[in-house]
Amino acid sequence: MKNKSLLVLFAMLLVVSAFLAACGGGGSNEASNESNTKENAAEGEPQKGGTLVYGIDAPPEGLFNAAFYGIATDAEVIALYDEALIEYNEKLEPIPNVASWETEDNKEFTFTFKEGVKWHNGEELTVNDWVFALETIANKDYDGPRYTNVQTIEGAEAFRNGEADSISGIEVISDYEIKITFDEARVNNLTNLWAYPLPESVLGDVPVAEMSASEWVRTTPIGIGPFKVDKIVPGESVEFSKNEEYWNGDVNLDKIILRVIDNTSVVGALQNGDVDMISLQPVTAPEVKPLENINITTYPGLTYYYVGFKLGKFDSEKQTITEELPKYQSKELRQAMMYAMNRQEWVDAFFFGYANVVNKPVPSAHWNAADDSELNTYEYDPEKAKQILDDAGYVDTNGDGFREDPNGDEFVVKFSHYATGNPTFESRAQAITQYWEAVGLKSELEMVEVNLYYEMVEKDDPAIETFFGGWGTGVDPDPSGLWKADQLWNYPRYNNPESDKLLDDALNIDIVGDDQEKRKELYVEWQKIVNEDLPMLYIAELEEIVALNKRVGGATYDVSGQNNPAEWYVTE
Amino acid sequence: MLKYSIRRLLGMIPMLILISIVVFSLAKLMPGDSLSGEIDPLNTNPEYIEEMREKLGYNDPLPVQYFNWITGFMQGDFGKSTKYKTPVAEVIMEKIPNTLFLGIMALVITYILAFLMGMYSGRKPYTIGDNAIAGINYIMLAIPSFVAAVFAIYFFAFQLNWFPFGGSVDIVVEEGTPEYWLSRLHHVLLPAIVLGAMSTASYTQFLRNDIIENSRKDYVRTARAKGTAISKIYNVHILRNSIIPLVTFLGFDFAALIGGAIITETIFTYPGIGQLFLDSVSSRDYPTLMALTMLLSFLTLAGNLLADLLYGIVDPRIRLD
Repeated sequence: MKNKSLLVLFAMLLVVSAFLAACGGGGSNEASNESNTKENAAEGEPQKGGTLVYGIDAPPEGLFNAAFYGIATDAEVIALYDEALIEYNEKLEPIPNVASWETEDNKEFTFTFKEGVKWHNGEELTVNDWVFALETIANKDYDGPRYTNVQTIEGAEAFRNGEADSISGIEVISDYEIKITFDEARVNNLTNLWAYPLPESVLGDVPVAEMSASEWVRTTPIGIGPFKVDKIVPGESVEFSKNEEYWNGDVNLDKIILRVIDNTSVVGALQNGDVDMISLQPVTAPEVKPLENINITTYPGLTYYYVGFKLGKFDSEKQTITEELPKYQSKELRQAMMYAMNRQEWVDAFFFGYANVVNKPVPSAHWNAADDSELNTYEYDPEKAKQILDDAGYVDTNGDGFREDPNGDEFVVKFSHYATGNPTFESRAQAITQYWEAVGLKSELEMVEVNLYYEMVEKDDPAIETFFGGWGTGVDPDPSGLWKADQLWNYPRYNNPESDKLLDDALNIDIVGDDQEKRKELYVEWQKIVNEDLPMLYIAELEEIVALNKRVGGATYDVSGQNNPAEWYVTE
Repeated sequence: MLKYSIRRLLGMIPMLILISIVVFSLAKLMPGDSLSGEIDPLNTNPEYIEEMREKLGYNDPLPVQYFNWITGFMQGDFGKSTKYKTPVAEVIMEKIPNTLFLGIMALVITYILAFLMGMYSGRKPYTIGDNAIAGINYIMLAIPSFVAAVFAIYFFAFQLNWFPFGGSVDIVVEEGTPEYWLSRLHHVLLPAIVLGAMSTASYTQFLRNDIIENSRKDYVRTARAKGTAISKIYNVHILRNSIIPLVTFLGFDFAALIGGAIITETIFTYPGIGQLFLDSVSSRDYPTLMALTMLLSFLTLAGNLLADLLYGIVDPRIRLD
């Protein structure tokens, strides 16, 4: 009897906790990166010394190396003590950091390293550390996801298959000079290339298969950044101290303490000054805003949300779209559904003003984003939506208050959204179906557990007709991987040769050379097409939100992320 | 008793095999796998995901996968966590000290409170005090621990500044020094109080009912007739007998100590087994998930065995052979 009640109690506990944790998890998935440069307003000159407390809202996994990490929180930790050879400016264009480069044909690149850059263990950084990184990633035992950033180097494939002892496209000229040859000339070879060195002095003897579990990745990582890792308490905090030998100027702070703070404690910890700097979820920001000791900074993110239509079926063996699904083929239908949605209202309600309506699948911060003046912005206009539906033959023929399809058959829009336990997901999905119902399209919502959801979307499960999704894009603005007809992640199965050709042309060095303007023209042309075709309804792009204690200065943000932590300072 | 223990231990083997089959099937029935969360054009591509699936053996037939897993498991190889990329045993061992520390503190708090309240209630049943204790106990039981935890953090950490709001230790103190242990104690106290004080109800009420029942027994009347002091009767004679049923709980406590407190650990960002367990479920980290479930199943079985053996020790009337 008692055992049973205990069991029930335990089960309930489990359910509630799963719910809670999912809330947390779902929230952090929502977050991503932003770009509106704002100087934080700590007064006066940068001061030396002091300790800054940096918060993250989910525990890191502990894979503290750029080549091995898998989640964003680990990347945040890495960004404090390590840096890439090549950085990106506020237009997401590559700029030299430790390495500068020269190329004539976008196939052969010669990189020159700065001399005297030291690892935290005192060893000097040379091009060999980079070669070591590239060969590690290309090793068949490597268990991280970065091979795609090395694959394009000439001979990488042969090295991986064990047919060669080294990668033929890498040629070390001296300790500070290296030549890298790619398998073919591409405009984005450089942005795609893996640009973090790996310390050969400590990892050189570790077999590749054991690297990700080694102490040099998990507990005593070293880098070349402005701070060194002093101590790690797994899953909760990391202590950094100033790197006296930092190659790129003086470091202001003496120490950074990074600690994990649960979402429920973020507001209190900010208010009490227990944390100086932390990224916020949109839902927390309105609570933080009134705090007197806190400044909120936002910058543009690279994530956008959409409602996709399943227009076909994909055969992953043949890498082609094999079948066309008829239900949503009518462009007028899709356009009407777009006009029916009050996206501004929706964004304000569910993202508290920390997101903007988008009309294209390219985040506005990218240099190749089309201006809204060149696109149809689909302003909320339910009357127009009704008109379009009427003209396209979607009319109510049986008097049930909802439209039938042009053949007179019942028409129900089936909308799917992922469920993580975050309670706002269901209401935001419900809101979308209500917009459609308001123009006479009967809509059904189905919430699907998130892991199952993406599996169903990917496999073109017949239960998925229209679906909610989001993509984050990187520094390389090329959308081919998400849009071309032969790509698995082209979830709507959008199949338009004209669109594919534009995307190919924009990468084709014979057509565009290295002329960014010319590339942009092609990308704008492409955005006009997908803005007209609407294989997905573009909804919103997120803003990144950072809360900073007013005693923090020197921290600036743009679309590429935070500035160099060496410039941060605190005033007492 | 030795014979009995051996019989019970042998009986656990088919039970554990069955449990392993259930655990494995349930884990595999969960939609998605550890790679379905990695769909991210920034970091990876479909070829990598396919390759990793092949490498991890997700494409093998299920019986083959089960057999591979269970053979490794029997030889003490719990596999490699797909999320942390290190051996599961290491991941678990890293979290166990934290969880044990929190669990023991919470249990001590529960025992102290439950004994005090239970003894008072048992001695003065149906009084205002007894009813108040019962009321408080059931309210505490009814309050979800995440609500309690959030309120506790708000009042005791942010308003009163008595305790830190999260973490298991202050990172700046030197490991191994007295300050280090003080810091750990300081950090564990608030979650332990939340956990411990919230779960006193079953112990208190059990103790209370048993004391009331015992106080009506003949030996109590005899003791009274002999003129033994009332407080001695309650605190020694009755209490000794009333503790016996509480031994039943011990079996559960045993597993719960290691199992950790999922919600409380998450809210207090206290890295322990509870948090790990939940993470392994949501990220489909099968090796960790299955190892933990097997560990907890084993501990529950062992805990029950322990409780049964203890029965025989505390109550000689119970014969085990």
